[in-house]
Amino acid sequence: MDIFSNLLLGASTAFMPMNLFYGFIGCLLGTAIGVLPGLGPTATIAMLLPITFGLPPESALIMLAGIFYGAQYGGSTTAILINLPGESSSVVTAIDGYQMARNGRAGAALATAALGSFFAGSVATILLAVAAPPLAAVALNFGPAEYFSLMVLGLVASVALASGSLLKAFAMIVFGLILGTVGTDVESGTPRYVFDIPELYDGLNFVAVSMGIFGICEILRNLEGEHERSVGVKRVTGLMLTKEDLKRIIAPVLRGTALGSFLGVLPGGGAMLASFASYAMEKRISPNSAEFGKGAIEGVAAPESANNAGAQTSFIPMLTLGIPGNPVMALMVGAMIIQGITPGPNVISDEPALFWGMIVSMWSGNLMLVILNLPLIGLWVRMLTVPYHLLFPAIIGFCCIGAYSINNSVFDVFVMAGFSVIGFALSKMRFEPAPLLLGFILGPMLEENLRRAMLISQGDPSIFVRSPLSLSLLVFAVVVLALVLSPSISRKREEAFTE
Amino acid sequence: MKLKRFMTFAAVTAAICATGLQASHAQDYPTKTVTVVVPFAAGGNTDTFGRLVAEELDKRLGQRFIVENKPGAGGNIGLGDLARSKPDGYTIGMGTVSSNAINQTLYKTLPYDKEKGFAPISLIASLPNVLVVNPDKIKANNVEELIAFLKTEPGKHTYASSGVGTSIHLAGELLATKAGIKITHVPYKGSSQAILDVVAGHVDMMFDNIPTAAQQVKAGKVKALAVTSLEKAALLPDVPTMASVIPGFEATSWHGLFAPPGTPPEIVEKLSKEVQAIIAEPAMQEKLKAMGVTPVGNTSAEFQTFIDKETAKWADVIKAANVPLQ
Repeated sequence: MDIFSNLLLGASTAFMPMNLFYGFIGCLLGTAIGVLPGLGPTATIAMLLPITFGLPPESALIMLAGIFYGAQYGGSTTAILINLPGESSSVVTAIDGYQMARNGRAGAALATAALGSFFAGSVATILLAVAAPPLAAVALNFGPAEYFSLMVLGLVASVALASGSLLKAFAMIVFGLILGTVGTDVESGTPRYVFDIPELYDGLNFVAVSMGIFGICEILRNLEGEHERSVGVKRVTGLMLTKEDLKRIIAPVLRGTALGSFLGVLPGGGAMLASFASYAMEKRISPNSAEFGKGAIEGVAAPESANNAGAQTSFIPMLTLGIPGNPVMALMVGAMIIQGITPGPNVISDEPALFWGMIVSMWSGNLMLVILNLPLIGLWVRMLTVPYHLLFPAIIGFCCIGAYSINNSVFDVFVMAGFSVIGFALSKMRFEPAPLLLGFILGPMLEENLRRAMLISQGDPSIFVRSPLSLSLLVFAVVVLALVLSPSISRKREEAFTE
Repeated sequence: MKLKRFMTFAAVTAAICATGLQASHAQDYPTKTVTVVVPFAAGGNTDTFGRLVAEELDKRLGQRFIVENKPGAGGNIGLGDLARSKPDGYTIGMGTVSSNAINQTLYKTLPYDKEKGFAPISLIASLPNVLVVNPDKIKANNVEELIAFLKTEPGKHTYASSGVGTSIHLAGELLATKAGIKITHVPYKGSSQAILDVVAGHVDMMFDNIPTAAQQVKAGKVKALAVTSLEKAALLPDVPTMASVIPGFEATSWHGLFAPPGTPPEIVEKLSKEVQAIIAEPAMQEKLKAMGVTPVGNTSAEFQTFIDKETAKWADVIKAANVPLQ
């Protein structure tokens, strides 16, 4: 196996002082913004994306990955300390984590989250390193027909795994697909929905749209009421886990990692689904299940390892096929395109240093978080007390600069502003923005590959079923759709999400 | 009467002052920072050439030449900005075969006056394309065999491009019209994805910029049949030219420097001389040739003649091939 030489190549990239530095900055910035309640990884990455534009591709992606883990870790910190999960995947962490903090065991909860995440991250990184190259080799055989079928499967699965109402998730996907049609039609060169605005000829800018929908919109939602945030825990002590604690978390961490790694690969849910599922599982099989909800350390260990493992393995479809399974990966795809890299199976062969560097940086990023965050916990607690009316104008100002700097165009700032309003309205009506973003990024790919396949087959639609790969993907998509629509499953699904 | 005489006097004085000012203006030029608009994203070919030249102008003229990327709409957004900026020589910009010779026909409306156009400073460099085919799909070792092969199966074969109306697409249309064959166009967004699908055999052939295609040719993944410049290309010295089979066949992707319409000719002249000198430098020649690019450097008048010829050529191809207008 040349996996070791590959990892060595990756290490030589990831451990370059410059890349270590950007990884560190990414983790730090990610955690700093991630600890702000309500701002999860997607919002954080959307906001910080523009600052990576000027960097070389390796550094930019390593920094973004660092921002991602940092933001995720920051979200767990607030969940534990003030019972305000920074993102959906740490919602369940808050249940037992906050109880632990109230019992004076905030340090132990934070340490459990950090160590569990680190362990899960390491396992998932190795999994990624082993699974990606063979998958990418298969992906090279993917032509337009196979890509089309894969995209159909991805969209169907993301409806199935969305947490709210199915109909609303479906509506959001279709809305995203429609937004994706704005701009010059690739096949005929005809402009669509551009209203004679030259800036729209290349379509709506993906970064501006996601900064609006995820970044500014989150701030608007937080501004609805400036809650007094009571940081009950002023000082966090006792970061060391006792022997008893360690014994209790080993099994949940292992189970959480396994479940998370598997669920992360599926398009749609990723980290959030992983943390919910593993908490539910742990509650059922743990010998201490009576303690759950009252500060069980297992209730922190399992979902935290699961969401980190899931976050990491969700890189697999993105890096091997160029297909984002969740909004964070969609942002990563956007960042790669901006850096001049076409995401897809060719990344491994064309940019081995970038690919393996990123994989190794995932591990080093997680390690950095453990080293960085446990001593800095006091700083994060203090950040929680910065009033919103100082913080939010600064963040919005930063977002405007970021949106402008994408193309040096004021138009993109307006796009961002417009979509923050749309995003806010949608969230008021309980529509989830995640399927919208997936539809928006997958839509043009779906359409292009459909029409390209039809061009190549001279208009014969049987091209989609003639290829065994494409046929099996389509069959799989139909099966998923049938499962979701069948009454017994949809009832179970509702139960799972209400829990 | 008196007033009229005064007015004439004033007008004449003003005119003299203005020309005098302009002349001294051109002599001193530049006295402040110059913006170089690149109408494409940072990191691409046009950006690279723009930055190489801007850096040297900086050194020679003692003022900062700052590159500003204004991408979008096939270069139209950046060129629209350039056309609207003050024609005083302090805003100049890059243009390419697409933005300055193809878009004129391809787009029904442009964000600037098509007739007025721009004041060409100098052509910087041109990139030849190479015709590559997937060896499993196309049984041909040269262009004659290719044309004969395609004639036996009209409409059955496909060629990829980096998008509708790009020089890569139009090179394919040029081949189809000149050789009288029927091939199906399969557009992509950018050529990197397109060449991958030619390698994998999903599409049969394409014209591609030499620097990117040369790697795949050398790895033996695709077969190079001909280059589209009039002379053979340095990166692929064994590959014949298209013109040796179809006389006059030329489809290069060129990049040049422009000023807004109405820029004083003295300033355009001065910049043109500097750019020509910069490109003539051995170090610059080396650098560009290593990238697979043909360095050019010509006068404003020569550049204008070249652009007119290119615009007319591509207008004919667009009309003959029935490429839909945008």
